[in-house]
Amino acid sequence: MISRWVVGFAFFLHTYHPYQRTKIFFYNLLENQNYKYKKSFDIFMMGLILLSVYILIRSVKHEIPHAWLLFNNYAISLIFLVEYLLRFWLHSNSSKTIIEQYESDIFLHRPFSFSGAMKTIFLQKIEYVFSPSALIDLLAIMPFFHEFRLLRIFILFRVLKLFRYAKSLQRLMSILASKKFEIFTLIVFTLIMIMVSSVLIYVMEANNPESRINTLFDAVYWSVVTIFTVGYGDFVPVTHGGRIVAMMIIVSGIAVISFSTSIVVSAFTEKLDEIKEEKVIDRVNALKRMYLVCGFSPLAHEVIRKLHKHHVPIVVLEKDIKKVQEARSNGLLALHYDSASLHTYSHLKFDFEHQIEAVILLHESDVSNIYTALTIRELTKNIALYSVLQYPENRKKLFLAGINHIVNTYELVGMMSKIIARQPVAFEVIHALRSEETSTVIDEIILDAEMKDRFYTLLEDPLFYQRFSVLGIYSTRAKQFYFNPHPDKSIESGDIAIVLANRGLIDEFRSKLHRRGKL
Amino acid sequence: MKPRCAAIFGYNEYSKQIVKQITSTFDNVGVFVIDDVEFLEAKNDGINAGRFDLSDDWQSIEALFDVESLVVFCALSDDAENVFLTISLRATFEKLFIIALAQDNESMMKMKSASADKVMPILQIAANVIHDILSKPIMTQVLHDVLYEDSPLNIMEIEVGDTSPFNGLYLHDLHFKRDFDLILLAIVDQEMGTTFSFASKGHNHHIDAGDILVFMGYTDKLNVIKQWNDGVSV
Repeated sequence: MISRWVVGFAFFLHTYHPYQRTKIFFYNLLENQNYKYKKSFDIFMMGLILLSVYILIRSVKHEIPHAWLLFNNYAISLIFLVEYLLRFWLHSNSSKTIIEQYESDIFLHRPFSFSGAMKTIFLQKIEYVFSPSALIDLLAIMPFFHEFRLLRIFILFRVLKLFRYAKSLQRLMSILASKKFEIFTLIVFTLIMIMVSSVLIYVMEANNPESRINTLFDAVYWSVVTIFTVGYGDFVPVTHGGRIVAMMIIVSGIAVISFSTSIVVSAFTEKLDEIKEEKVIDRVNALKRMYLVCGFSPLAHEVIRKLHKHHVPIVVLEKDIKKVQEARSNGLLALHYDSASLHTYSHLKFDFEHQIEAVILLHESDVSNIYTALTIRELTKNIALYSVLQYPENRKKLFLAGINHIVNTYELVGMMSKIIARQPVAFEVIHALRSEETSTVIDEIILDAEMKDRFYTLLEDPLFYQRFSVLGIYSTRAKQFYFNPHPDKSIESGDIAIVLANRGLIDEFRSKLHRRGKL
Repeated sequence: MKPRCAAIFGYNEYSKQIVKQITSTFDNVGVFVIDDVEFLEAKNDGINAGRFDLSDDWQSIEALFDVESLVVFCALSDDAENVFLTISLRATFEKLFIIALAQDNESMMKMKSASADKVMPILQIAANVIHDILSKPIMTQVLHDVLYEDSPLNIMEIEVGDTSPFNGLYLHDLHFKRDFDLILLAIVDQEMGTTFSFASKGHNHHIDAGDILVFMGYTDKLNVIKQWNDGVSV
């Protein structure tokens, strides 16, 4: 009976949208580094930790207002408790575990094992409870029981919680974790050295009345102080044997220090590239709009140089590390990733719909561009894909791969040759106007239906007359270009006027067109 | 004199596209190659191909074409060889119209120094088009159709002759849009040797013989103004 009710409730939770939404919200807040409020939450929690430690330090020699203590002991602890419980809740999906167990049992024609499901859930939760970070969280809540004065020292565990919120600390820990074996070896070596030297010095000194090392604790203390090359001088060996032990341990101490320094330095050196890459990924993820360029070819370099004028950030994906370094040396945001791999996008977590203006495929091979296009099309159908085409016979394949705009350099050169051979001056004029190398440019102005009268009236304005040419209006609905439009030509919302004029004059025209009121 | 013949040096993907595009507009098109592989490939493609080397022996060119009405495309795959070819041709034929392909801006400057009349920097051309498609897609499409596709709209350059009705007139006295249904894109003042668009600064330019007017409009209207300029009554 209970098991049926539990399964029913699990199915209900699994499909109950407000519950799932709430769970996703808290997951994002606590775990998702890309969630927009995550950073604010982390800063808030770090603020609480620092405040808590400040109150502890202040209370040592000063009277703390009662309200502060209440805040520290109850409010902060309660917030940490809530956070701990939320993490406990989020760690595993209990309803899913029950459903999986239920469906598995049904499939195998077995009665539903309620105890099996509960055991799995229990093991999942216990795994969380005994994880190092959860233990720290739990200890940080302990000052909640402020009546036990000793437990106030647990406030210091709150400092350890900083590892949860500060990414750089997490990074430090992951770097050191990569050298687990070396660190473990170092610790074992140090412990053995301390143990051996403590026993030796105790044996040599303990019975000598002139020596201050009288107990085993004194011996251990002396060994630790000496092996780490501190040497306070409060305990010194006086016997010959003791001094020989001291010489040995001083030499070993230098080895310990050197070994530990080299471990840290080599860990950082090995992870340096990874750290840099993560920094670049952080910068990329923070971008609101960007162009994504796949492949850093000479053409890509040139395209990026031109696109920089639009002040939209550009991110380059390139799998050749040398090209990545070249791009970075040019001040570009370049990531060492294969643009044709789905793994790349799952790792980088691009928001194609909102973050990426367009994807430009500029690999030097049609095969790579097609493969990349198919990968991106698996992720989104809506993003605009632009690609360079190396060989005209592959044009259809690029279209089939979902590329919207294709540029073939060979065809372009061929077509241009025809114009340049017949009308070289006209070609130069068009080239100059398009390349925006002169103050006169050809530009687009987006119109709406209400602008019609104002548009044609402005053209007669002395400021624009004879100095501002409308080459035509492109109707986005009819997909037709109306050259040299007559004032009777209607204008629909979304139509685009192609104009030729001085750049400043175009801006002025645009501004007057959008201004309300009489001209 | 309008060129009637075209010689293309090199037979690669660029040359193939150039041949494909210009064959219909020239009376005689020939391809000249250095190596045997390109020569055989061109012959297999049915191209009128000849051999050349980078010495100063251009007799084969002079035998096949009237150099006065010849346009040359220097389209060798190697930029250094292309520069050498350009400078060699210029050294021999002072008035030859030379169009050279350059892989990038650096080579473009060298081609210009080697006295090519027009240089097509391939990387920049492709980059410009990609940039334009991204930033001004409609304008790019319209201009592409006008320039390269079989469109009723076209561009035309007209040189003002001594007997042209435009000779001696001021720009502001002419209403090309109203009277000819054409848009004047630019005037090239041969005396000043610079290109400028009338729209940019509103100069009331005095049109002289030798100036070149660049128009955009429907082909029939462009032909009308060409005839008008040539002094044919329309």
